Amino acid sequence: MKRLLAVGTIFAYLGVLVAGLGSHALNYKTNAHPTMYFIVWDMFCGWSAYEDRTHIIGQGESGRYYDLAPAPWGDYRPFGDIERHHYDPFATHAGNLAMNTLRYSDHEPIQQIFVVQEAWAKKFNLPDELWVERYPESKEPHSYFHVRKILGPNGTTQTANLAWSDHQAKLCLSDNPRLAADSNRGKPFLEMQSQVQVSDTGSRPTSHSQ
Amino acid sequence: MSDQHSPEVKQHSLTEFFFAQEVPYGMAVVRMLLPAVLLLVMVPRWFHARELFSLDGATAPLADNYGYFDFLPVPSGPMAVALATLLVLTLLTSSLGWCTRLSLCVSLVLYTYLNLLDCLSTLTKYSAIAAHGLLILSLSNCGSVWSIDGFIKRRSLRRSRSEEPDLLKPQCYAVWPRRLMQLMIGIVYLGAAFTKMHTPAFFSSDQMLHWLLTNVNNSNPVGEYLSYYPATLVVSAYVTILWEVLFVFLAWRGWNRIFMIGLGVAFHLGTTFLLGLYIFPLVCFAIYASFIYEEDIQRFTAFCKRVEERGSRLVSKLRAIGQSIGHTIPEATPRQGSLAFVAVALLATFGGVGVEYQLDPMGTRRAEGAWPLKELDPATVVPMLQRSERIRETDKYLSFNIGSDMLGGVLMDRKDVFHHGEPIVAQCTLNPPHEDMWIECNLHDGDGRILDRVGQVADRTMLRVSYAFVLRESLLPGQYFLVIRSGGQEITRRPLTLISR
Repeated sequence: MKRLLAVGTIFAYLGVLVAGLGSHALNYKTNAHPTMYFIVWDMFCGWSAYEDRTHIIGQGESGRYYDLAPAPWGDYRPFGDIERHHYDPFATHAGNLAMNTLRYSDHEPIQQIFVVQEAWAKKFNLPDELWVERYPESKEPHSYFHVRKILGPNGTTQTANLAWSDHQAKLCLSDNPRLAADSNRGKPFLEMQSQVQVSDTGSRPTSHSQ
Repeated sequence: MSDQHSPEVKQHSLTEFFFAQEVPYGMAVVRMLLPAVLLLVMVPRWFHARELFSLDGATAPLADNYGYFDFLPVPSGPMAVALATLLVLTLLTSSLGWCTRLSLCVSLVLYTYLNLLDCLSTLTKYSAIAAHGLLILSLSNCGSVWSIDGFIKRRSLRRSRSEEPDLLKPQCYAVWPRRLMQLMIGIVYLGAAFTKMHTPAFFSSDQMLHWLLTNVNNSNPVGEYLSYYPATLVVSAYVTILWEVLFVFLAWRGWNRIFMIGLGVAFHLGTTFLLGLYIFPLVCFAIYASFIYEEDIQRFTAFCKRVEERGSRLVSKLRAIGQSIGHTIPEATPRQGSLAFVAVALLATFGGVGVEYQLDPMGTRRAEGAWPLKELDPATVVPMLQRSERIRETDKYLSFNIGSDMLGGVLMDRKDVFHHGEPIVAQCTLNPPHEDMWIECNLHDGDGRILDRVGQVADRTMLRVSYAFVLRESLLPGQYFLVIRSGGQEITRRPLTLISR
């Protein structure tokens, strides 16, 4: 009986691992369920030429702006020097983080919350001594800002935009006049919001760290 | 068909593979190391448990990203702290081997549950690998040796049946949990290889080059330095994928095992120095201990005995320390040990909740009242809320270098002195996203006069453009410049010196 249980466990466990491996290899239903995260081994599956950070900004009734992340009591820094809210590539949890800061702070009524993505070319991450060795021009980092989401006072999403890099890629495509014209002709009169975006990484969190 | 390929022999070797009997020393080492590594991250998280894992804070459930809202219940603040405290305790007792199986089961459930509640700062792929490790450990008999459980059991046996010395020897168990651990890490590597196969930029060095420049993990100065040498990344890409594919097939016995594990150690140390990863390598090193066989321990024990016989004090001292630690464990039967474990768990959990309440990490009961929000200067914020600007022309290029040889499509060397007739390769690496571009690489003389104008289309999918030049004797020796132009403006230039043969 004990041997039978052991054989069953071996088959079940290896079966699950192989199913995950097959799903990943064939890119079949890799995002079907949260448990897939535990059997799909897609470490470092994405990459970007731009470093990004997230700013969560509240606007009060008076029109003043407030920093909602990091929280005033200090934020957890999980993998290095940057705070937790920067590890939210899809801005899925920004509303929750903002509401938590508002819950434990003293403030005027907040009207809107802006989730802003900041991006800069990663070459500017090089320390100055390496920059001087590699580039004859002076180091002039430039940040791009992009409103990713606008949330209401209760944290619900009012407006959601593409991520900065997707937005820029779209702008690059729109330089093609024929594509731009076809795309404009194909725009629906009414937005049903029934379609979901399909991409290589889907909605799976691409781990920033590992 | 020869005998060794017959179905019976295959079945026998498969049975032998999973059900051979051994003392689980290797799994005991995994048990000691893996929970200890997880403690390194769980102890700092304990101070933030209320914020990360409870309704009183800001959880970030992984399931939300998959569209499964309310997939798991989120605990209240005190409950989250209690669970985090219990997890820290059971990781510690798992490592020490006290009520090992119970400790490992509790660790597995709590570690996985809390991880699933915070995909921003707690759950990563190493957490998933560690959860597999805890699951397999909880199925094994890793607590039978080198553990408090084993010590208590042997002491109790020694008292009751001292005349039967065989009973005092470590017990043998089927090897299958260790096989599952070995297969698991091999399959993880195979999956990682598939990821790389899906990513063409991995083989052209572009993906890794940008990760070397990324600052979302710990400091990685070696990685930043190596980003200047993409050819090394091309070579390491092929070595890595070969190792990842072959690991599960070769890492079992003999020199192959030493070679594969050695490459693994080098690879993971590389991720520490190049990418700033600390915990991921430690988790994998802990799991590598499952490749320690019983005969390895016997060989090591015999070696220590030989060293001790030659008069080494170190081994004797270590033995004495081990014995003195054994004496600190109170006299108890296994049943009493279990009862003490439950008492300690209850005490620690309630104590943890009380301590966290006193610490008040989110300052909810501050004497000064609720926290004031930090006001931001409108002059800073308003530009951030404007319409996104287009990417500057200078940001579309990553680097421009001159050399003479290429490897895997990237420049292998950097030089700025060339002889007449020597081939020159100028390579411009681009940052995606970019539109279809016309990129010129023009040759200028020392006075800035344009001598040659070469242009190429870089479509939106291209990550680099290369230009080949051969400067003949028609050009006088002296200084020249290669100038990159795009979008009607000069982006950058590199000097080169031409000398006669």
